[in-house]
Amino acid sequence: MWGIGLLKGLGFTFKMLFQPKVTTKYPDEPIEMPNRFRGIQHFEPEKCIVCNQCARICPTGCITLVGKPNPDPEKKGKVIDTYDINFELCILCDLCTEVCPTEAVVMSNNWELATYSRDNLLKDLKWLDENNTNIREENV
Amino acid sequence: MFGILEQDFSWLNLLIMISVAVAVMGVVLLFVVYAIYFERKIVGWIQLRRGPNRVGPWGLFQTVADVLKLLIKEDVVPTKVDRLLFLIAPIIAYTPSFAIIAVIPYTESLYFADVNVGLLYYGALSSITITGIMLGGWASNNKYAIMGGMRSVAQMVSYEVPLIMSFLGVVLMTGSLNMREIVQAQQDGVWFIFPQFLGFIIFLIAGNAELNRTPFDLPEAENELVAGYFVEYSGFRFAFFMLTEYVYMFAMASLMTVLFFGGWDAPFGLDFIPGIVWFFLKFLMLVFWLFWIRATFPRVRTDQLMGFAWKVLIPLALFNVMLTALLHTLGIYSGVN
Repeated sequence: MWGIGLLKGLGFTFKMLFQPKVTTKYPDEPIEMPNRFRGIQHFEPEKCIVCNQCARICPTGCITLVGKPNPDPEKKGKVIDTYDINFELCILCDLCTEVCPTEAVVMSNNWELATYSRDNLLKDLKWLDENNTNIREENV
Repeated sequence: MFGILEQDFSWLNLLIMISVAVAVMGVVLLFVVYAIYFERKIVGWIQLRRGPNRVGPWGLFQTVADVLKLLIKEDVVPTKVDRLLFLIAPIIAYTPSFAIIAVIPYTESLYFADVNVGLLYYGALSSITITGIMLGGWASNNKYAIMGGMRSVAQMVSYEVPLIMSFLGVVLMTGSLNMREIVQAQQDGVWFIFPQFLGFIIFLIAGNAELNRTPFDLPEAENELVAGYFVEYSGFRFAFFMLTEYVYMFAMASLMTVLFFGGWDAPFGLDFIPGIVWFFLKFLMLVFWLFWIRATFPRVRTDQLMGFAWKVLIPLALFNVMLTALLHTLGIYSGVN
């Protein structure tokens, strides 16, 4: 009554004028994502044993990989030849990195995928190998 | 200005008058550009945001970019509008808002027209804008536009009554409608905000309603009426309506400075600071006030709005006029002045 509430409201908004801002300066300053964030995968071809488990578990079927016989005739097994993740499909669900027995594919904290063409979203082995920054701490 | 109005007509005088008008226009446009910028900044700060900061240093060119965008847009006139009225409505709305700036004195020497009935002129011309708004709403042939226009007319007609009556207290105390004499009376006595406090409060509320700004922005209530009377307007005609609102803000804040805060009068005897600075400071304070309440209060309801004007503000304003007249007759206020 008598406009006390109005004055209270005005006082509150005036105090808010000097409070620290809650917005981030995102495009100017990168955002630090928390640990265990599910970002773009990092792939290490040396560790891969071409077990195909990541491609099989992937719920969207966005991983395609091709192996080849080990060039060293002394050793058994295969080495990776091509490894592509299609980020038009990938939902960054973390299942491929969960299932990988050798931690060849791990999560990173990078997440900026915006691009002008959909073609750029098909990331190959080389690109995923070079995406080696901000890797999830438990996989470093 | 410079006594040109008293002289005989000559082409040189006309040229001077036009160039002065253009210069004032420039100042007003500069004010409008940065009023919009600071409005967005201050409302942003209160909402814990940063406000516009991308265009130019600290976002200083944001409004310039917005206006440029409006100016280069296609001038859309919908097929079924009343074409003539649709086209002239923004002009009718805008012209009086610029015309009333002529009577406001900024300092002892800086004023444009020393009109004896300055306040009357202000009140009379500012109500013409309602016609433009109503025409714009009606000519648009759109239900939201007509509702916005109707609301605007109802609101502005209702609130004009207490607004003009709140002038009356000041007029009774000075015995003049001339704004320069009103300021001079305050220089001799006290600022009218003290003896006319009730009138000042009424002016604050009714003035805000006249400006169609939050919390009285029912004519353009976004969530009910899309944008009110200018739904169908785009490009520079829309810019004209927006410009009208902000020029009225300039005029209303200047008028309030003149009527209640002593215009260019320096408080506490701080005479070494020039009068124009004092005028500007008081003016900015009142403009900040408008931003501040916009960021604080929600919109009032239509039924409350009209009831408040007729049942609260007008009786209070009448009471204020009577009280002022009584005290003046008894000679209590003549001691103040």
